[in-house]
Amino acid sequence: MRLPFTRGARSLSGLIGALLLAAVLACAIGAPRIAPYRPTQIDLRQRLLPPAWEPTGSTRHLLGTDNVGRDMLSRIVWGARISLSVGLAASLLGAMAGSTLGLCAGFFGGPTDSIISWLIDVQLAFPFTLFAIFLLAVFGGGFLPVVFVLALATWVNYARIVRSQAQSLRAQDFVTAARAIGVGAPRILRRYILPAVLPSIVVVASFSAAQAILTEAALSFLGVGVDPTIPSWGAMVNLGRNYLQGAWWMATFPGIAIAITVLAANLLGDWLGARLDPRGR
Amino acid sequence: MHNAQSLTRRAFAGSILALAAAGMDAPASPIVIASDEDVTTLDPHLIRNNHPIGSIIWSIFDSLVRRAPDGTHEPRLALSWAQPTPQTWRFQLRRNVRFHNGEAFDAHAVVESFERMNRPPFNGESQLWQQTNLRSVAAIDDFTVELATEGPAVTMLYWLEEAFIAPPAYLRETPAADIGARPIGSGPYRFVEWQQGEHVTLAASPDYWGGAPVIANVMFRAVPEQSSRLNELRAGSVDLVPGLDPDSAANAASAISRLAQVPGLRKMHMGFSQHGIAPLRDRRVRQALNHAVDVGTMIETLQRNMATPLKSVLNPPNADPALPQFAYNPARAAALLREAGQEGFAVQIAFDSKYADSQETCEVVAAYLGDAGLDAHVVAYESGHFAETLRARTFPGLYFYGFGALIEKLVELVIFTSDAVDNASGYHNPAFDSLVKTAAVTTDEPARDALLKQAERLVWLDCPWLYLWHLPELYGISRRLQYAPRPDEYVEIYRARLVA
Amino acid sequence: MEQKEARPSFLKKRSKRLLFPGRFLHALAVLFGVSLATFLVAHATGDPVDLLVSPSATLAVRAQMRSTLGLDRPLMEQYLLFLSHALHGDFGQSFIYHQSVTTLVLARLGPTLILAGSAFAIALAVSLPLGVLAAARGGWAAGALQLFSMLGLAIPSFWLGLMLVLLFAVNLRLLPVDGYGTFSHLILPALTLSLQSIARLSRLVASGMRGALQSDYVRTARAKGLLEGRVVWVHALRNVLVPVVTMAGLELGDLLSSAVVVEVVFAWPGIGRLAVTALGERDFPLLQGTVFIAGFGFVMINAGADALCARLDPRLNVRTRA
Repeated sequence: MRLPFTRGARSLSGLIGALLLAAVLACAIGAPRIAPYRPTQIDLRQRLLPPAWEPTGSTRHLLGTDNVGRDMLSRIVWGARISLSVGLAASLLGAMAGSTLGLCAGFFGGPTDSIISWLIDVQLAFPFTLFAIFLLAVFGGGFLPVVFVLALATWVNYARIVRSQAQSLRAQDFVTAARAIGVGAPRILRRYILPAVLPSIVVVASFSAAQAILTEAALSFLGVGVDPTIPSWGAMVNLGRNYLQGAWWMATFPGIAIAITVLAANLLGDWLGARLDPRGR
Repeated sequence: MHNAQSLTRRAFAGSILALAAAGMDAPASPIVIASDEDVTTLDPHLIRNNHPIGSIIWSIFDSLVRRAPDGTHEPRLALSWAQPTPQTWRFQLRRNVRFHNGEAFDAHAVVESFERMNRPPFNGESQLWQQTNLRSVAAIDDFTVELATEGPAVTMLYWLEEAFIAPPAYLRETPAADIGARPIGSGPYRFVEWQQGEHVTLAASPDYWGGAPVIANVMFRAVPEQSSRLNELRAGSVDLVPGLDPDSAANAASAISRLAQVPGLRKMHMGFSQHGIAPLRDRRVRQALNHAVDVGTMIETLQRNMATPLKSVLNPPNADPALPQFAYNPARAAALLREAGQEGFAVQIAFDSKYADSQETCEVVAAYLGDAGLDAHVVAYESGHFAETLRARTFPGLYFYGFGALIEKLVELVIFTSDAVDNASGYHNPAFDSLVKTAAVTTDEPARDALLKQAERLVWLDCPWLYLWHLPELYGISRRLQYAPRPDEYVEIYRARLVA
Repeated sequence: MEQKEARPSFLKKRSKRLLFPGRFLHALAVLFGVSLATFLVAHATGDPVDLLVSPSATLAVRAQMRSTLGLDRPLMEQYLLFLSHALHGDFGQSFIYHQSVTTLVLARLGPTLILAGSAFAIALAVSLPLGVLAAARGGWAAGALQLFSMLGLAIPSFWLGLMLVLLFAVNLRLLPVDGYGTFSHLILPALTLSLQSIARLSRLVASGMRGALQSDYVRTARAKGLLEGRVVWVHALRNVLVPVVTMAGLELGDLLSSAVVVEVVFAWPGIGRLAVTALGERDFPLLQGTVFIAGFGFVMINAGADALCARLDPRLNVRTRA
């Protein structure tokens, strides 16, 4: 479904994606040094300050302040920590779980495949956000439950691709030969199949990270986030919602941050997909 | 089931009608009052909040007396009253009053309604019997009612204000759920309809004993988002928006609407739970925390100078002006904490997540407590859980709450007694209890006032709360409406007039 | 906000491994999974009674709930009890509203379907011309579509909704901030919800059209001297319809999922907002009932879309496991 992008354009967009992601990563890692203020630093007399370019704005707060005077720029920089850590952790967990299940389903076939395919279909049968809310209602918010739920959202992406690839690989000569010699299945999977599917996993990881970041933002917008004390972009948009009329910047900038990060991950994934799998799909 | 087509058709028809109506002068178009949620029931003995439920009940029903905005009592269904003995109250009732369903109002109706208030589940919400130690209600004759109490009940009139009277036969013959869905009273407005989740419509009762109210049709509409309520006020589809906060108050003013402000009575505070962490049980710690928070700056900034600081646990005009105030003094706070040996402990600040601006107040207080060396963190409770914990008095630390939007010294102090139902902090001081209990049975006014003043000072210095401010009453009102808001959030739409 | 997979081939999307009766059994199997999942979540923390009973309930009410759920019986029996209750439409009472959960959910189903349906209609109406144009013009148009599509998938729907409210309701005052009841209330939520579908569908249409425009079939039509417009809009477009319809079922599902957040932003009285309210008030029976009914409904929609696809493209019927 990829439109014919000139290779140059795709490389350019991939580069842009990588650069943007690097910037977000830098924010996440270097937050204490980059952010001009602490994210929880309250300054009542500076509350609801508009961005610096507005007439009543101040250069001390480039993106303005929120309803208790916290600096928007600092909060957005610090917010990258949550988005990235959750996105990466969920992607990793989803990748491990999804790839393992996909490998087993594709390689072993039979009842294993039936069960795993059934699981995939059941998963896809749920409007996911509802189910995420359901799970988090029981387990509460917090880093681990949210990561688990997000991994649940993304494992299917890996499982399907890996499964179909494993299936076609299974039929290949070198696999048949290995089995004939008596090489055990785990070894075959690890040494032959896994490296072959790894490129696809990486591509999916990029897109899944994007999906996880978006979903995490939505969940914190709804109030079931990771940690109410650390600013999360989704939670910031939720807070800004009450001040839409008087302080539009509170909701606007965090949303832009989310969009930039997700776009970057998608651009990177696109580029990776083209590089690692030139046949396209 | 709706579908998009019917939406379109309705919208089309609606816009034609609206155009037509705009052309005509339509005195019958209802005055619309917005609130953040729909009512849960309209049973007169299950009032859960001041607005919208209280406002609607006050319009449909009548009680024996009603409190005016300044706290005095005006006769409603009772014409006069007297106390033959300290334990008895006798009320002479108004004659020729009929309920909306035609039943006649008399002493037997009063008895029926009052006895209903003593039965579950009504006695969970209606506090008349518990708070006045009422023993019996009896009809002496058709228009005289006698209330007998265990001991002198000095706050009887206060508790009678919300003892609403419904038609006796209707009460007897109708299942409880229907009474809550189709209320029938004797008040200035009749119930017309309740579209669940949407609105309640009332129409003026032409033969009301006090004269039919000026506003003929009233609609109480549920509009969850404040920005929507304001937008509709400015657009003209809503006429009255109570409960604005200082940040959005400025948006109430437009070509067709204005902001009305009265000093409010609801006392906002952080309760110090006595059944939670140990440090809060030390009076010095509580005083220290009062010194640690700069309430003045919070009022200036968060409340945009629209709130007045809490100067006593009693509402003006009854507050003792000589009470010492806990000024913002971080040095004093640190000294007190050091003296009490409680430095750097962890404390939770809980709030009801239903109220959007609670979070910011709690975060600011947490920041001040952090400056004082404490490890304060803010926790959102969902409404039901918050109410439960409030009733069970089991908050672990501080909780943000607003209470007591009324003017009645004894009632305002009773909530701090150990066995009071509403004593959410669990404040327990036997000396205070005995002062208040003695005052409750002291019929000599000056003596009672002296006792209450003592009690007021005692509890104030003991700091059961971190004192914040009186919540300002900010209303957005359409310019075609002439209405003076009450400081206690009830909307008495029957007192409103249209601007000439 | 579900991006179902990385770069889907629309044909690989479904494991179309079975013929019609098999499809039915397949749907049944999925439904079983849905009910199992909904049941198990309640037991995940150990004592489901705490979740299913109002916090202020007395011990007697708790004991009664225990026996209704059959908590002293083996898990399998409990599941069957739950299932039989569910199939009778009994999910218990909501704590907040004191009404039967089923009544509440069914009442809110309509608004959600209106919203999702409108968003889908908008998506179709916009994606088809966009995709066709991008394919026909090629070059810069294709690149622009690609960019637009990526942006559309990156923008969080709740944020977009708020920005639209900021522009049209707060600043321009053209539309209401939120609520339900008139056509103008539907515009912003439907637009917001449709964006991600437009992003996906327009790319699908564009790629399908590209392939179609280069096919022999179209070349023949051109050679016959038919007007270019007719060639594009009538002949080539026909080929795109099948993949679009295939996607339709999935898009509707994605829409229903994203609708949760959009409903919250616009105070739209649908099941998404109901679920979030239930979450906020820890009203577990309501939440469980909503998820179950939504899951069920979703499976039905997918099964319907499957059947429709099978009718439109008989090739899909004979695909084996792939």
